[in-house]
Amino acid sequence: MIELITTLITIGAVLGGTLGTCSYLIYVERKLSAFMQDRVGPNRVGPYGLFQPLADGLKFLLKEDIIPDHVNKVMFLIAPTISVFTTLLAFSVVPFGDVNTSFKWQDLPIISSFVPESWQTADVLRFLVAPNVDIGIVFIFAITSLAVYGIILGGWASNNKYSALGSLRASAQVVSYEIPLGMSVLGIALMAGTLNLESVMGKQTSSIFAWNIWYQPLACLIFFTAALAESNRMPFDLPECEQELVGGYHTEYSALKFALFFLGEYTHVVTVSFLTVILFFGGWHLPFIAEANLDANSTSILMILVKLGVLMLKVFLVIVFIMLLRWTIPRFRFDQLMGLAWKVMIPLSMANVVVVMTIKQFGISQWWLLPISLALFGAAGAIGVATKQAELNQRSVTTH
Amino acid sequence: MSYHPVVIYVLVLLGFVVTNLILAHVIGPKKKTAVKQMPYESGMDPVGDARQPFDVKFYLVAILFLVFDVELLFLYPWSVSAYTDQHIIPAELSDTVFGVMLVFMTTLAIAFVYAWRKGVFRWR
Repeated sequence: MIELITTLITIGAVLGGTLGTCSYLIYVERKLSAFMQDRVGPNRVGPYGLFQPLADGLKFLLKEDIIPDHVNKVMFLIAPTISVFTTLLAFSVVPFGDVNTSFKWQDLPIISSFVPESWQTADVLRFLVAPNVDIGIVFIFAITSLAVYGIILGGWASNNKYSALGSLRASAQVVSYEIPLGMSVLGIALMAGTLNLESVMGKQTSSIFAWNIWYQPLACLIFFTAALAESNRMPFDLPECEQELVGGYHTEYSALKFALFFLGEYTHVVTVSFLTVILFFGGWHLPFIAEANLDANSTSILMILVKLGVLMLKVFLVIVFIMLLRWTIPRFRFDQLMGLAWKVMIPLSMANVVVVMTIKQFGISQWWLLPISLALFGAAGAIGVATKQAELNQRSVTTH
Repeated sequence: MSYHPVVIYVLVLLGFVVTNLILAHVIGPKKKTAVKQMPYESGMDPVGDARQPFDVKFYLVAILFLVFDVELLFLYPWSVSAYTDQHIIPAELSDTVFGVMLVFMTTLAIAFVYAWRKGVFRWR
C-alpha cells in the first residue's frame, strides 16, 4: 500500500517535472534564440514573458483540432500519442537524484503529524520511478526506438506528400543513428559491468577522475551526436526542415495533437541530457560540494537537495548546450547525414568497443583509454580530410 | 528487482495521453470548410496521392540496420558478463571468449566493408 503511494507520488513528480520543464524549456529556447539573433524574444505575457508557456498551452487547447478528410483517422490519432508516450516512458528508469537517499515521511515538518504511524519510516518519494531495473540502458533504447513508429505512422496517415517525405527521412535517420548510440554505450557497460543506470552513476561518485568522460571521450561525443539525431534536433532536423518540407511529418497536425509531438521532442531532449550526465559526467557528483566520501550526513535533507541541485544544474547545462548548437551549426544535407552515421560513427564506435575490450582483457591501466580515444578521433579526422581532398582533386581534373 | 512501478507508470501515461486526445476533441471550435479539409501543399491543389513508391535505398538501410541491431543485442549480454567482479565467465574461459569476440567483430567488419564497397551508403 505505502509502496504504491510512494510510486504514485514519484510518478506525479516525474510527470509534473518533465511536463513543466518542457514548457519552460520552450521559453528558455525562445529567449536564447532571440539573444543569439539580437532580438527581444517573448516579453508580452507577464514579467519578461515568463507566463508565455501558459499562454501557449491555453492556445494549443483552445484552437481547432482539424482532422482532414484525406487522412487515415485511427493512425492519425495514434501517432502523436506514441511519440509522447514512448519518450515519457523511457524516463521511468532514469535516476534524477542520489538513489541511495530518500525523503522519509518523518522528515517532513508539518505533514508528518497527519500521516499514520506505519508510514513514518517509509519514503515519500524515490529519485527513480522503477528502482533496480538491471536492463536500464537497454530498456531506454528499446522504448525510445519505438518513437520512430509515431513518426512513420504520423507521416503515412497524413496522406500528404510533405509528411510522407518527412517521415521517410526521419525513419531512415533514426534507424541509422540507433546503432552508434547503442554501440557507444557498450564501452561504458564493459567498464562498469552493468547496464543498471543507478550503479553506473554510483561508480563515478568517488572523485572527479572516476567520471567516464576521462576514459570514454570518443564514446561521449558519438553518444551525444547520435542522441541529438535521434531526437531530431538541429543540426539533424531534416525530417521537419521548413524550407523543403513545411513541417515534415506533422504538417497536417494542429492544436493539442501538434503539441503532443512537440512535447515528445522536448522530453526526448531532457532524457538525452540526463543520460549524458549520468553516463559520462558523474551524475550528482561534484568535487568538494557533493561527494560520496563527504557523506557522513548523507541522510540530511540539505545534502539530498544539494545532490539534486548539482544533477539538475549539469542537465540544464547540457540542454543549454543543445540549444546553442541549434543556432551555431547549419543543417546537414541528407547524404552527409547518412554518411556521418554509417561511414564515420559506426566504424569509430566499433573500434572503441574493441579498444575497451582489449584493455580490459590484458588488465592495462584504464588511463590508456584517454590517449587512444583521442588518437582514434584524430585519425578519423585525418582520413576524412584526406578523402575529401582526393575527391576535390579528382573533380578539378575532370572539369578542366 | 521489480517491474510493477513501470506497469503503474504505463497506466498513468496511457491515461494522460487519452485525456489529451479527448480534450483536443471536446474543447475547441469545429468549423469544417472544404479548403481546410484538403492536404496542405503550399496552397497548390494536390496532384495525385501521397502513397507512392519510394527509393529502394531506404529498404537497404533498414535491412543493414536489422543486421547491426541484432549484433548489438548479442553484444549487450556479453558486455555485462565479461569483466565483472563476480566472474560470471570462468577465468580459464576468458581468453577463449576474447578470441571469439574478436572473430565476431572481424566478421562484422568484413560484412560492413562489403556493404560499403557495394555502394549501400552512397546517397544520390
